[in-house]
Amino acid sequence: MRNTDPCHHHPSICCLLEPKDPREEEKWAAELIQECAKAIADKDSSKIRHLLWVLNELATPYGDCDQKLASYFLQALLGRAAEAGELCYTTLISAAEKQQSFVTARKVMLKFQEVSPWTTFGHVASNGAIMEAMEGESKLHIVDISNTYCTQWPTLLEALASRGSDTPHLRLTVVAMLSMGRSVMDEIGRRMVKFARLMGVPFEFHVVSIVSTLGQLTEEELGLRKDEAVAVNCVGALRRVRVEERDAFMRTLCALRPRVVTVVEEEADFTTSRGDSVACFQQCVRFYSIFLGMLEESFSPTSNEKFLLEKECSRSILGVLACNGGGVCERREKASQWCERLTEAFAPTAFNDDVIGDLEALLERYREGWSLVPAKGNAAGLYLTWKAEPVVWASAWKPIKP
Amino acid sequence: MPWTSETHIELSGGGKLAIVFREAEGEEMAGEAVSKASRPPNPCPDPSLPPVVKKKRNLPGTPDPEAEVIALSPRTLLATNRFPCEICGKGFQRDQNLQLHRRGHNLPWKLKQRSGKEPRKRVYVCPEESCIHHNPARALGDLTGIKKHFCRKHGEKKWKCDKCSKRYAVQSDWKAHSKTCGTREYRCDCGVLFSRRDSFITHRAFCDALAEETARVSAAYTMTNTASIGSVDSLLQDGVATPNIWKHLSPNLKPNIMDREVGQQDRHGCSSWMGHGGRLDNAFDGTTAMSEINHAGLVDSQLSWIHCNKLSSLPTSNTLKPLMGSVPSLFTSLPHRPAPDVSATALLQKAAQVGAISTTPFSGSFGPSECQNTSAGDGSVFDGLLIHEFAASNTDEVYITRTRSMLRDCLGGATRDFLGVGVQTLCQPSANGWI
Repeated sequence: MRNTDPCHHHPSICCLLEPKDPREEEKWAAELIQECAKAIADKDSSKIRHLLWVLNELATPYGDCDQKLASYFLQALLGRAAEAGELCYTTLISAAEKQQSFVTARKVMLKFQEVSPWTTFGHVASNGAIMEAMEGESKLHIVDISNTYCTQWPTLLEALASRGSDTPHLRLTVVAMLSMGRSVMDEIGRRMVKFARLMGVPFEFHVVSIVSTLGQLTEEELGLRKDEAVAVNCVGALRRVRVEERDAFMRTLCALRPRVVTVVEEEADFTTSRGDSVACFQQCVRFYSIFLGMLEESFSPTSNEKFLLEKECSRSILGVLACNGGGVCERREKASQWCERLTEAFAPTAFNDDVIGDLEALLERYREGWSLVPAKGNAAGLYLTWKAEPVVWASAWKPIKP
Repeated sequence: MPWTSETHIELSGGGKLAIVFREAEGEEMAGEAVSKASRPPNPCPDPSLPPVVKKKRNLPGTPDPEAEVIALSPRTLLATNRFPCEICGKGFQRDQNLQLHRRGHNLPWKLKQRSGKEPRKRVYVCPEESCIHHNPARALGDLTGIKKHFCRKHGEKKWKCDKCSKRYAVQSDWKAHSKTCGTREYRCDCGVLFSRRDSFITHRAFCDALAEETARVSAAYTMTNTASIGSVDSLLQDGVATPNIWKHLSPNLKPNIMDREVGQQDRHGCSSWMGHGGRLDNAFDGTTAMSEINHAGLVDSQLSWIHCNKLSSLPTSNTLKPLMGSVPSLFTSLPHRPAPDVSATALLQKAAQVGAISTTPFSGSFGPSECQNTSAGDGSVFDGLLIHEFAASNTDEVYITRTRSMLRDCLGGATRDFLGVGVQTLCQPSANGWI
């Protein structure tokens, strides 16, 4: 008889019968999810049912990494099965947006940056490239398309203020992503303006909400002026451009005639495999288990910030696996793939020694496990690696002269 | 239904996966509430340095047009031991230093006298062609300056800080940095202390102490406190719902009971992957038309389905909120109603949240692994001045002007310290503003 007492029910797992690496015992979620993806592709309904039942029994967003993975993928499978992926995603996003406040967004971002270099790595690299490219310029315009709520800019403002020669005028145009609520962005803007005043940097702040999809961003929406030096900062942005619009997007960026384009992306390939659900699942499981493991090891176990980041992670998984087109896109690509697209209109520039030094100093301040690895082969830029796995990629690009 | 304790799955890559279900031994709640920082307080460095009288300097790279321009070679600029001692071989950068050293060997020594006449001013250009100081119009005014510039910008960074791995080409820069690396602390107006400059700056930019007066800060704090706790619970409801659905469906999805055929109606969406004879229909009461799934995705169907089933018989896991009294939804957030028995996890999550807030006096600061709370009032008089000035003034412009003049007075005008830290900047800020 099933015990309905809430304290007794939760099952734990699991053992592999085949003699395998004992570490594999921990990776049951990946195995099950993969099997399920295969069963769906094969339309093996009894197997699907069996696997979903097992996953359901074991999944919980409050458990260990495997249990979380199972829970999020189950949600994605549900969305996919009901062909309600986009609806689920947009509803989740708007729900999150309603609950979000400036205070919670700030808390999550700053805490995350305190315990992990996942975002700060890209910030330091990009700011370094921007400072170098804008040396000697007196009017700067940064077009910021990122998902880090402007936490990149205070250190840049400080660097501009202490540059020694005349402090340039900075205009910051933020292209707001789907999940960034208007009220939050407005508050962020107010803080940025006040801070810039404190720093003594002449400053203007402007938010652009995308009318259609990111891939269809136009120059007019950004309001560029003739006498300014433009930098485009894309942190976690390119993956939100629909796959078929990506090449055109590169051209749009080039047309802005920027001095530099900084690109920071997460290292995973969810694009090549988008026709093949099994391979896509595999890539997703691999990437997200690394990410969840990193969160687990970086935060304290009951951190609310970690929980909110995990929720965002689950939305992201839903976005990748259950959304095909529409306004939603989170299809990451690897460095080599982005480089192929970017080299059509841009040439890579290396980060200077100061920036490398700053990045190494940055990583020193966090826990063990992080390191900096230059990209090789047909990819330019730098990787941030977690336990020897490249996870974040940062690069800087200059337009090829026409 | 007998409770299956074990199930096997054939893996397509070969092999089998066996899942064994064990009753958990009660609720093990790992982790404790966020702990407070345990670092002993460090005294704030004394900011009231005596003002130093300095010779008026030109801006770097704006030389006197009458000056003589000297172009030295890279070798000359990098040479550190141009003047070696004949006894012990020790090298010196300047002849004067060598002469003084020779005294130690009891050798005859001679210091050159400064010539009486005022020598013609000399300025130096950088040999590196791509450098801005290669242009005589941007030449630097002294020999040491051009040497340091060349070494820093175009030289090899041989000196590395062992605490933070920042690299330096000039030894004196490295020494100066090492003295203060890791020892400097930054305090925000809100009272939180930081050991990392970058986190201090980022915090400061968004800190409530920056944006609002003290009185308004406390009001905002109480508001956001309740708001965010409310949201945590509804977040918990959100995240929990998916497994919930499947749990209710599970008795019907279990592999042992496979053969309940219900009429093959067209299940929009589900049949596409379930194949024919979609079993999903078992999970739904007759009263819930599958057509409800078509409406607004899955949202309404779940809710009506949940209501239709006997709520009392729903199994709940120790990590899920019971459905009675509150209606969790996967996709929308409903207004929060306190559930009759809140799960231990939810309580813990709440505790963590409240714990984090209560350790900090202002909402502008956050839980500490490297920060420490001190009340805004103590510390340097200088900081206190800043806060009072801010509260009193009505316009930000006035605030800025006052801050600047106070800073100039306290620090002799040599360093720009806009953050009210009151600490003399000893080393060059890096390109990014790091360290």
